[in-house]
Amino acid sequence: MLFAVIASIATLLVLTVVVLVVVRFVRKRGASQIKPSHKVNAIETVGVSANAPSNNLTGSGPLQVDTEQRVHGSAAEALRGRFVAVGVFAAAVFGSLSAKLWSMQVMQQEEFARKAQENLFATVYTPAPRGQIFDFGDKVLVKNRSSFTVLADAETVDNRDAVTRLSALLGIPAPIVRQRILNASSGAQSRRIVATDASLRNVAFISEHPDAFPGVTCENRTSRTYPYGTLAAHVLGYTGTVSEEELKNVPEGRNVISGDIVGKNGAEEAFDAVLSGDHGTRTMLTDASGNILQVLSETDPIYGNDIYLTIKGAVQRVADETCANYIVGGVGTAASIVCLDARDGSVVAISNYPTYAPESFIGGISADTWQEFNTEESHYPLMNRAIAGTYPAASTFKAFTAMAGLERRVIDDKSESECTGMWTGFGEEFPQGCWVWPGGAHGKQDVVDAIANSCDVFFYDMGKGFYDRIGELGDTAMQDYVAEYGFGRQMGIDLYGEASGRVPTPEWKAEYFKDAPEEAAWLPGDYTNMVIGQGYVLATPLQIAAGYCGIATGKIYKPHILREVRNSLGQVVVKYEPEVLYEPEMDEKNIGLVRKGLREVMTVNNYDRFVYGVNYEVAGKTGTAEVFGKQDYSLFACYAPYDDPKYVVVCVCEEGPTTITSAIPMATEVLMAAMDYDSGELSKDFEPTRWTTQAADPDLLAKKLEEASNAQVTDAAVNVWDASSWT
Amino acid sequence: MAEQVAQIDSVIASDAGDATGKRPRRFTYFNLPFLAIVGILSFYGLAIVYSAVHGNEDYSFSRQAVGVVVGAVLMFVIFRVDYRHLSHYLWLFLGINVVLILLPHVPGIGVNTMGATSWVKIGPLPQLQPGEFAKVTVILLDAAVVARYGGRLNSPKDFLKSLGIMLVPFVCIMTQPDLGTGLVYIFIAGIALVVGGAKPKFILILVGVAAGGIVALFTLDPLLDSAMGHDVLLKEYQRARLLVFLDNSYDPTGDGYNLQQAQIAIGSGGLFGKGYMTATQSTLGYRPEAPTDFIFCVLAEELGFFGCMLLLGMYIALLLICFHIAFNAADLFGTVIVMCTAGMWLFQILENIGMTCGLMPITGIPLPFVSYGSSFMVVNFVLLGAVGSVWAHSVR
Repeated sequence: MLFAVIASIATLLVLTVVVLVVVRFVRKRGASQIKPSHKVNAIETVGVSANAPSNNLTGSGPLQVDTEQRVHGSAAEALRGRFVAVGVFAAAVFGSLSAKLWSMQVMQQEEFARKAQENLFATVYTPAPRGQIFDFGDKVLVKNRSSFTVLADAETVDNRDAVTRLSALLGIPAPIVRQRILNASSGAQSRRIVATDASLRNVAFISEHPDAFPGVTCENRTSRTYPYGTLAAHVLGYTGTVSEEELKNVPEGRNVISGDIVGKNGAEEAFDAVLSGDHGTRTMLTDASGNILQVLSETDPIYGNDIYLTIKGAVQRVADETCANYIVGGVGTAASIVCLDARDGSVVAISNYPTYAPESFIGGISADTWQEFNTEESHYPLMNRAIAGTYPAASTFKAFTAMAGLERRVIDDKSESECTGMWTGFGEEFPQGCWVWPGGAHGKQDVVDAIANSCDVFFYDMGKGFYDRIGELGDTAMQDYVAEYGFGRQMGIDLYGEASGRVPTPEWKAEYFKDAPEEAAWLPGDYTNMVIGQGYVLATPLQIAAGYCGIATGKIYKPHILREVRNSLGQVVVKYEPEVLYEPEMDEKNIGLVRKGLREVMTVNNYDRFVYGVNYEVAGKTGTAEVFGKQDYSLFACYAPYDDPKYVVVCVCEEGPTTITSAIPMATEVLMAAMDYDSGELSKDFEPTRWTTQAADPDLLAKKLEEASNAQVTDAAVNVWDASSWT
Repeated sequence: MAEQVAQIDSVIASDAGDATGKRPRRFTYFNLPFLAIVGILSFYGLAIVYSAVHGNEDYSFSRQAVGVVVGAVLMFVIFRVDYRHLSHYLWLFLGINVVLILLPHVPGIGVNTMGATSWVKIGPLPQLQPGEFAKVTVILLDAAVVARYGGRLNSPKDFLKSLGIMLVPFVCIMTQPDLGTGLVYIFIAGIALVVGGAKPKFILILVGVAAGGIVALFTLDPLLDSAMGHDVLLKEYQRARLLVFLDNSYDPTGDGYNLQQAQIAIGSGGLFGKGYMTATQSTLGYRPEAPTDFIFCVLAEELGFFGCMLLLGMYIALLLICFHIAFNAADLFGTVIVMCTAGMWLFQILENIGMTCGLMPITGIPLPFVSYGSSFMVVNFVLLGAVGSVWAHSVR
């Protein structure tokens, strides 16, 4: 800054001197020449001076001085104005040049100096191997495969012999070798990839004959590999080359450069900063043509950290296989299973079907495959339905609304309703049916019976109770209570793309239908729909599972997949600490009633047959969601053991025909697997999954359908349909 | 007309000076401030050239030094020549100009480089640019033309006649084509008309017509090109350069890159520069033509703002001395010669430094006394000799 001030003063001085000199020059001439110049003008012999002075010379003595002056001034006298014009032009030229130089060299010096530095050095980066991903049993789910890569300097392309030898050795046509060497996509100075997955023999040959392959080097690079196929695809996610968009939004502290591989989904994306290591760098002094003059520094890449997940691979495999088997077998179009550890919120398994093979993203996914993954017919295999799919919670919601009724004293353990199959609590013109209607009725039901039988009429009465007591409780009493279980907001699982679901309130409805005011009014029917988990209620499978953790244990932990992070030396650098998200307000007596109802769901309906032979008791709740334009979706939420809950499993089966043929067996299978994993009955070693994308297997389909019909036959007394009422 | 010629013929003023009783100068041909500033400027220029060509095999510093020495000798020789005799040879100068400028078109000796036929190669002589030498005769021609009117170029007919003669060298050089040198000729003609006493009204009208013509040229050129199917008026690269000047991001030929690198070189020099011989921008070849048209960048990068101001200060001193000599010249012919020479340098300084810092469009105009090029150096010294001759033959 001091220099700037000094320099500015210096410049001003120079300019002042210039101006003064010019002015003085002009003035001096002007002052001494006024008379003679007039005279010269008068006799009209301007420019050629000889005549004028000679005339005067013949004159009298006193004129001598004038004459000398005139002779001095000579040719240019009358043209003084022209001199001034040229002088002013010159002053303007030097003034503007000085000003421009001042602004560039002093005012903007730093910026230009930085650009000059950037010109000087070039840095190329070597990708760092990403960290690996392990399951709960320390089985590696995602690892790196080393791949010998043959690299060549850009100049190698001019060496015809070397290109020919490379072509012959690697079995790649010479024009393609040349084309790959010319591919500057990873930077002008970077070495170009000629071949990946080169054989050890070829690598050895190249390394042993450096003279025959000038500028060619071999490097051991890595790429992702998935030893268990599609296992936990939605949890693990996939990687890909960083996009333009992502490059613009690189998070703080993360160094991403064009061409890098970054996590695009699942844990790969959520823990990208942890998994990615630091680039190896090679800084070089280069000239304008990009020739390397000197390598200034070289650092090796630093491995990324490994992450250890809470996912139990063996349970996950059971979940994946279950989903795949049922859907491929023709039961429903898509399914999602979530298994949570109710004691700390760890995700034991998240499974969705249709699913995809993360492997198909290695080296860039083909446009056809990508297209196929995003069609209605494929049922969007990339979608993690467990956290991003929102469904009507249907009757699984009744556990929460029952708690709301009990806690807000809208009902108590003595409240009873008489179910005739049809309910007309808001008048004859607004009839609402129980799911048993037509042709059935539940009769007298208290809260435990109503949960066990999923009797809608009892809940309609309770909904009306909330409506009748709006003045006392407010119009969001029920919503506020169920929100304590996490409904209507994100759970905060450590994966991206989580949906929030929805619990309707009068405020929400007014906003949602603001363009259709006739729909926007909060109606009594909104209570009776919400109370059975229909209407505008939406929840993700993860939310339902977390909510059931609350019912089962009284506490809701934040769901998470991360267990710990270890660095490349194997030291634990981050350890996940479970975090209690919600502790819903609950009276021991009230929660006891709800839990009893959930247990009776299993006994009254004989759903215990799905968990036959286990040495613990299971509680659960079915649900059948009505979805506009689709067949009903089947849901089942369950936990075990009943008296000391450990695991909660939720299954949603889109267009699953009935809960007993889809959601119940699917969920219980995973629940039993989770229990067996603890007891050691389920081996911690497991096989890769077999399914990739949805592909109907006719034999398997037939087998599954047969099983389903057998179940119905043997258990004809049990109600097959657990449909909630129409809305 | 005859009267005016008679006046010119009678311009023998040294006798008159003697007759006034003024003592003759101690050294007739030794103007100390003039020679001092020329000497310092030449050495400064040589030092910059040395740094710029250092380690570059395409250029030879010794050739440049030889150019300076030859030029200096020529300068002292020309000091003694009485320039006043030359005012009679108007038509001769015109002829020499036309021959010189059209010389590269002669088959066998003309050399075509980068789309312009500006160079000749005769036998073992080094390659020369006659258009460069023609600057001397252009100045003499223009001075001779205006001197005939004795500072009163008042009639439109005389003005147009003078203008017509002055435009001949420009038209000739545009056949090569060499727009940069052509612009120098135009500027010399302009200074001659201004200093020679053309009516301000004529000059203003002329400037207006020229400005309109340039606008029309830019509008018509693409139309004509597309109509004819080839470049008619402006070469593609010339239009590109002018457009780069108007919009830095327009960069079809990489000229924008040159300009950017030139500006980085200048800007990164800062106040005191990176030190003599340590420029990174030029030594690593980020800027093409470093020792010739872009030599100012080397100076700016190595010696910084102060180094630049030093050079500009020397130019100002030289121009002031020239003004002084022109003002005191014995006749209008001498005045115009000196003013045209000074004006030419001024224009070259403006254009060369201006283009490197983005004030002016890029044209190939060298920086007086600094840019690499021995013929350019010789020409400048010849012109210094002419200025010295005017001084030596003026009356004190």
